[in-house]
Amino acid sequence: MGPADYREERLATMTEDARSARASLAGPAPTAAPVGPRVVMSAKDVRLGFGRTTVMEDITVDMPAGSITALVGPSGSGKTTFLRSLNRMNDRVRGYWREGLILLDGQDVHGRDVDPLVLRRRVGMVFQRPNPFPMSIADNVVAGVRAHRLAKRSQLRDIAETKLAEVGLWSAVADRMHDSPFRLSGGQQQLLCLARALAVEPEVLLLDEPTSSLDPRSTEAVEELVRRLTPARTAVIVTHDLAQARRLSDYTIFFYQGRLVEVGPTAELFERPRRAETARYLGGEVDPGAER
Amino acid sequence: MERGGLVAGTTGRRSRGRLLGERALAAATATSAVVPLGALAATVAILVFEALPAIRFNGWHFLVGSAWRPGDYYGQPVRTGGVLHPAGASYGAFPLIIGTLESSAIAIVVAFPLAVGAAVLVVEKLPARLAGAVGFCLEVLAGIPSVVFGLWGVLAFGPWLARDVYPILAHLPNVPPFDIFRGNVGHGLGLLSGGLVLACMIVPIIAATSRDLLRQVPEATKEGAVALGMTQAEVFRTVQVRWVRTGVLGAVILGLGRALGETIAIALVSGSVLQSATNIYGGMTTIAATIVSLLDSAEGDPTGLAVRTLAEAALVLALLTLLVNVGARLLVRRAARGAALPIGAGF
Repeated sequence: MGPADYREERLATMTEDARSARASLAGPAPTAAPVGPRVVMSAKDVRLGFGRTTVMEDITVDMPAGSITALVGPSGSGKTTFLRSLNRMNDRVRGYWREGLILLDGQDVHGRDVDPLVLRRRVGMVFQRPNPFPMSIADNVVAGVRAHRLAKRSQLRDIAETKLAEVGLWSAVADRMHDSPFRLSGGQQQLLCLARALAVEPEVLLLDEPTSSLDPRSTEAVEELVRRLTPARTAVIVTHDLAQARRLSDYTIFFYQGRLVEVGPTAELFERPRRAETARYLGGEVDPGAER
Repeated sequence: MERGGLVAGTTGRRSRGRLLGERALAAATATSAVVPLGALAATVAILVFEALPAIRFNGWHFLVGSAWRPGDYYGQPVRTGGVLHPAGASYGAFPLIIGTLESSAIAIVVAFPLAVGAAVLVVEKLPARLAGAVGFCLEVLAGIPSVVFGLWGVLAFGPWLARDVYPILAHLPNVPPFDIFRGNVGHGLGLLSGGLVLACMIVPIIAATSRDLLRQVPEATKEGAVALGMTQAEVFRTVQVRWVRTGVLGAVILGLGRALGETIAIALVSGSVLQSATNIYGGMTTIAATIVSLLDSAEGDPTGLAVRTLAEAALVLALLTLLVNVGARLLVRRAARGAALPIGAGF
């Protein structure tokens, strides 16, 4: 059985699950209304926090399929926490709690029959700093493929090569596939991590400030790659760099103090922000909530 | 501001003082670099010099022979090949060498999983406060003098093993590898007891090092594995194991060094028999234990051969330790070639 068959089967069971999950939800199904583009991930009345602190509340938002959504806002506004709740990375954090629904293809990602491992395969993640595994470059790329048994042993090399080519790293590492990834530059390492995340064929890719530790040229390479991922895949990117959000994203969500202040198509939000806080933040103010 | 050239020592007093400090540091570091080398060279040279007559008298037989006969101290000494020795003297250290290797092997086989398991538990599973307590106990355990371990082995651990544990082991199925446990379980002093006491002594060494290494594994790398949808066990295999394995091997070498050279504990628990163990419970001895228990009587040899033979045994132990060390290091290097760690991380 090839990886594609395997994937089809997995996806089929997931859709099956999604259908039953939808049926059990009160009210109309979340993705039932086909207004605008198809929604891949969405949050409904999400409230979350750690221990006694509420970090975010009242978050309701849809992320359309095949788009790039940027999450912007000042430090501590909850962007990263929200991003990490989409693939349940926060589950690992002590004291984390959540109310409301986070949906992938209309299915509650916290549903009883959802396997977080499968969720994380479908919703991949790239981090702020490159974090290659202590194994060869080739092994790094296929680490997830191996774990999910998505391919036969004999196919792994081809997958590694294909994915490295997809991120534009193949020519640089072709003759050192079995070397340490730690000898690569920071930008190359980040591209390697992208290749690793893409190798398990995720539908959604979460990027947590993926270029904040990179030089301008590497940043450009990563941005270019993210652009190429869509519309086949959906990307959600946290960034401190407003220019990057503007260049790269189709939609922008502005978070402030744990609340979703404004969301809209990027051009619209940057040119005609509806809320005063958004305008002040986009205007370069560090604390957009403070009255003048 | 004082004016001066760029030549050292020409820019005034302060600079001269700094130069002096620089020279003092260079001298101090040179000394501390030379002293250990010199000490090692001197030790080996003295050992070889002391052992030389015994090496000539015993020959290769020393490494393969099994009899340990000091000969007649009170009769007329005899001269063979230029070496004066008591009549009937004949030394073979084979059982000592085997005993050393066997007991150390048992110690490592038992201690390794225990120590690494404890380290994983402390770092990954236990809540911080409990982990601190366990870590503290490990450090205390590492500092306990070996004679205490030895006495505990003789008085408590050995007898308990012989009464409550060995009888069960002896009834394991009669198939390899369990068949090595069959036979007379003895009274609790012997090869297995010695190996187990050694294991208790090296567990803290390996565990403490492994724990420190596991703590250095970056959270970000683990998160990368979790985000790919790996299970906890897969994350552990993919990230932690690869991150620490060369370092842990280094810790095992350290532990092995301690086990090979351990003297007083094994002298107490081994059963002190100058022969190889007949079964895994049987009495045995090691090179170090033999040296410490026979030195007193060896000094009764008027020709001095007995003492020189013990020096030769010490030389063999030193070489054995060196050999094991080099072998283990080669192993580490081979493992490290495949393991790709960031520069400066790990071992």
